Amino acid sequence: MRVFAKRRKRFLGGISVLLVAASAVAALSVSGAQARSSAGELKGAGATFPAPLIAVWQQRYEAAKDVKITYNPIGSGGGITAITNKTVDFGASDAPLTQDQFSACKGCVQLPWVLSATAVMYNIPGAPNNLRITGAIVADIYLGRITKWNDPKIQRINRGFTLPNQTITPVYRSDSSGTTYNFTSYLNTAKPEWKSRIGKGTTVNWPAGVGARGSSGVSGVISRTEGAIGYADIAYALKNKLKFFSVRNRAGNFARPGLVGIKAAAQADRKFSPTNELSIVNPPPGKRFRKAYPICTYSYVLLRIQSEQAALLKPFVTWALTSGQAYGPALVFQPVPKYVVDRGKATLRRVHP
Amino acid sequence: MSVAEEQVSGPATFKRRGRFRPGDAVLYVVTLLAAISGVVLLTLITREVLADAWPAMDRFGLKFLTTQAWDQNKELFGARSFIFGTAVTSFGALLLATPISIAIALFLTELAPRWIRSVVGPLVELLAAVPSVVLGLWGILVLGPFVTGTLEPALHNALGWLPLFGPARPVSSSMFAAILILTIMIVPIVSSICRELFLGVPSELKDGALALGATRWEMVRGVVFPYARAGIAAAMILGLGRAIGEAIAVTQVIGNSVAINADLFAPGDTLASRIAGQYQGADTALQLSSLVYLAVILLVFSLVTNIMAQIVVRRVAGRHQV
Amino acid sequence: MEADQNASQIFRTERIGRRKLVNRLVEVAATVSALLAVAVLVLLIGSVAKRGAGAISIDFLTKTPVINTGFGEPQPSGIANAIVGTAIIVGLAVLMALPVGVLTAIYLNELAPPRVASVLTLALDVLNGIPAIVIGIFVFVFLVVGHGQTAWKGGFALAILMLPIVARSTQEVLALVPSSLREASLALGAARWRTTLSVVLPQAVGGIVTGATLATARVAGETAPLLFTSSLVADDIRTNPNEALESMPMFIFKSAEQADPALHEQAWGAALVLIAFILITSLLARAFAARSRRRLLGER
Repeated sequence: MRVFAKRRKRFLGGISVLLVAASAVAALSVSGAQARSSAGELKGAGATFPAPLIAVWQQRYEAAKDVKITYNPIGSGGGITAITNKTVDFGASDAPLTQDQFSACKGCVQLPWVLSATAVMYNIPGAPNNLRITGAIVADIYLGRITKWNDPKIQRINRGFTLPNQTITPVYRSDSSGTTYNFTSYLNTAKPEWKSRIGKGTTVNWPAGVGARGSSGVSGVISRTEGAIGYADIAYALKNKLKFFSVRNRAGNFARPGLVGIKAAAQADRKFSPTNELSIVNPPPGKRFRKAYPICTYSYVLLRIQSEQAALLKPFVTWALTSGQAYGPALVFQPVPKYVVDRGKATLRRVHP
Repeated sequence: MSVAEEQVSGPATFKRRGRFRPGDAVLYVVTLLAAISGVVLLTLITREVLADAWPAMDRFGLKFLTTQAWDQNKELFGARSFIFGTAVTSFGALLLATPISIAIALFLTELAPRWIRSVVGPLVELLAAVPSVVLGLWGILVLGPFVTGTLEPALHNALGWLPLFGPARPVSSSMFAAILILTIMIVPIVSSICRELFLGVPSELKDGALALGATRWEMVRGVVFPYARAGIAAAMILGLGRAIGEAIAVTQVIGNSVAINADLFAPGDTLASRIAGQYQGADTALQLSSLVYLAVILLVFSLVTNIMAQIVVRRVAGRHQV
Repeated sequence: MEADQNASQIFRTERIGRRKLVNRLVEVAATVSALLAVAVLVLLIGSVAKRGAGAISIDFLTKTPVINTGFGEPQPSGIANAIVGTAIIVGLAVLMALPVGVLTAIYLNELAPPRVASVLTLALDVLNGIPAIVIGIFVFVFLVVGHGQTAWKGGFALAILMLPIVARSTQEVLALVPSSLREASLALGAARWRTTLSVVLPQAVGGIVTGATLATARVAGETAPLLFTSSLVADDIRTNPNEALESMPMFIFKSAEQADPALHEQAWGAALVLIAFILITSLLARAFAARSRRRLLGER
């Protein structure tokens, strides 16, 4: 009998341990479900391209207005999916939404809020920074046509440095990426064969090379792989101390992805499409575009017209379009022109709770 | 089981003859509901996955299996590259892991003194406890550079005439790296099963062979292997199933490319790895649906290997109950 | 006869030298393979320990990661949110899987007719063999699409992985409980349900806890189910199961592919914490299992 009682006690002991553990988990969860410490919170997800600037915005805006911003850099495709599925308050994408995506999103708007350049980065040991390249050569590399760095086409425009006999490893984004959209849009204009065979998009059928996730992933692979070439927002090249090319623009000059080059390129398109799209890839030749860098892009914020968080969203996006732009130049984000700010404010007026 | 037999005779019939105990009925119903959860989940999984893959299945049909593309622009998706990648990496890993696992099992059952056995045995099983994401991390940052810097050139110099071993590539992501990581993952599984099998060989048979003058290796080849043959097959199938389903470690080291190459040092992709790679969002409904179609194919593969392993295991169990 | 001739052919003493050589080669190969496996394990754990130890600090365990903005601004960074998130997600998984698993095992072991038991056991075995990524996709299309990611959906995915393991290990423990106990209880007039709950189950508690602990250790390191259910996370400590929470495996996965070496170091540190947790839990569970098994069998 005593044995029986002892066993029951142990059994009850075991059960109560489990119950205590379970209620601890439950208590933690319940307390977590209560109100946040700050006045409000906005959830966003999307492109990695503007992520460095958004990270600064997160800190500054929370310090100024006590509103917490969460941002997950999962790629433009992820941002479009997230806002369509209503899992976030705002999305971010460098690729403008297509008609199909607008209809799937059911009541979304986009507006440009960030302006920067896509750098073409390389890892060639011993090479100086800002070697020269043209769009046609880049297309050939990604088509698998040019496979060695000392190919005469590349050497010819870089007489100042003897390129090594090193295999070129093209690196591309394996996830759904607006930077890919920007990069392939440029290649479309640079080489007709690219346009017919591959085309532009957030993901394309890459004939050669290796994939990596996110702009960080691409930068990571390039920094670890000798002879690699890849594309990402210029901020990532600077952050990871990667060298990047000067790319020839239509005016015939080799331009660098800096504030000057971006500002010049932005002039290429001042006319918004009905959905606020602006395309500034490969600006035409002309005096205004002498210094233009040919692979620039706006990045868009995606909002729902009918949004519960409208009261928090509108001030944030307005702040981002105005005060927030001041933090851009340090990260090579060119402040957006006034007509973009005005258009953004006008679009924001349509957003309501 | 002994309990089931009890229901036919003995005290259990007390229940049927005696008063109706509502508590018994409640327990029966509650536990039955819990027990069918396995079946319910299986049905749910199959149904949901098929339903969401349906748009892609309807659009592409079985051609999906032979199309090599993952092109959102042309709205063309196909699984051929990934089926190829899955086959190459899984069978490659199995090819490497089987002899190593059998050798380890032999070492632990025939060769090692007891104290080594008790140290090395748990260590090998410990390898199975390492999470795949940690193996992938190690694969990217430690194994990858070693493979590119040392292994690939060595293999190319020695066996470069085979199209499998092309020139060493500077990038560390490749199918070869995935094969190595998968090998590390399935060796503990296969070797622990083989170890159990070899321990189960009746010692009279082994001693008999040794008494006839066989060397230890001849004994193993002539007695242990034939006896354990079916079990080794089951272990290999289980290991293969594990390799087919591994997503995380593979996607970290394989390079995520849609190309099909004979060269093992080229990047590639597998079914599980491609699904994992697109987790952040598919742009279009068709792309998501194609992704789930890949999951359907993966599910079929793993179900087939699982059921094959079950059949072999049950046949082995039946035979050895003599 | 033939067999004798063959036997004497094989075991002819003139060829003994060659046979001994082959034997020796095989022995060496076996030893080398085993040592190779051990070497890989040592290298692996060694890498994690060496590279991760540098990252471990009180700050690391209690602070949260802040994205390294701009160029080289020092930021406090740690994995506190990942640790808390994993605790909550895995805790929810255990809450979901343990009762169902134990009840399943009770049914299969104590109450089911043998035909039914074998079918249901087969279903559980098949469920066990489904890759974690497929389970993740299933929960994604079943629960997440259109509704959003939450920690409890991640816990649910992990629970599906745990269920067959818990059910199987509980079954094994229940089978170890001597049938004489059951018979005695029934003979004394106790109802079936009474017998199961008050006599059989208490004996098995030790084994159930062990099985649950081992399943937890295994599932704590799973990344694939969480990719689709709990990956869009905030970077401070959250405890609400109704939103997506960061987890250790996801943190390692995301940090591993970044370019920043500082993030790599954090990934190693998190890997060290994760492996330490899994190893210590597994070892404790196994030691406890051995002890309770001995006690159970000793009381026969």
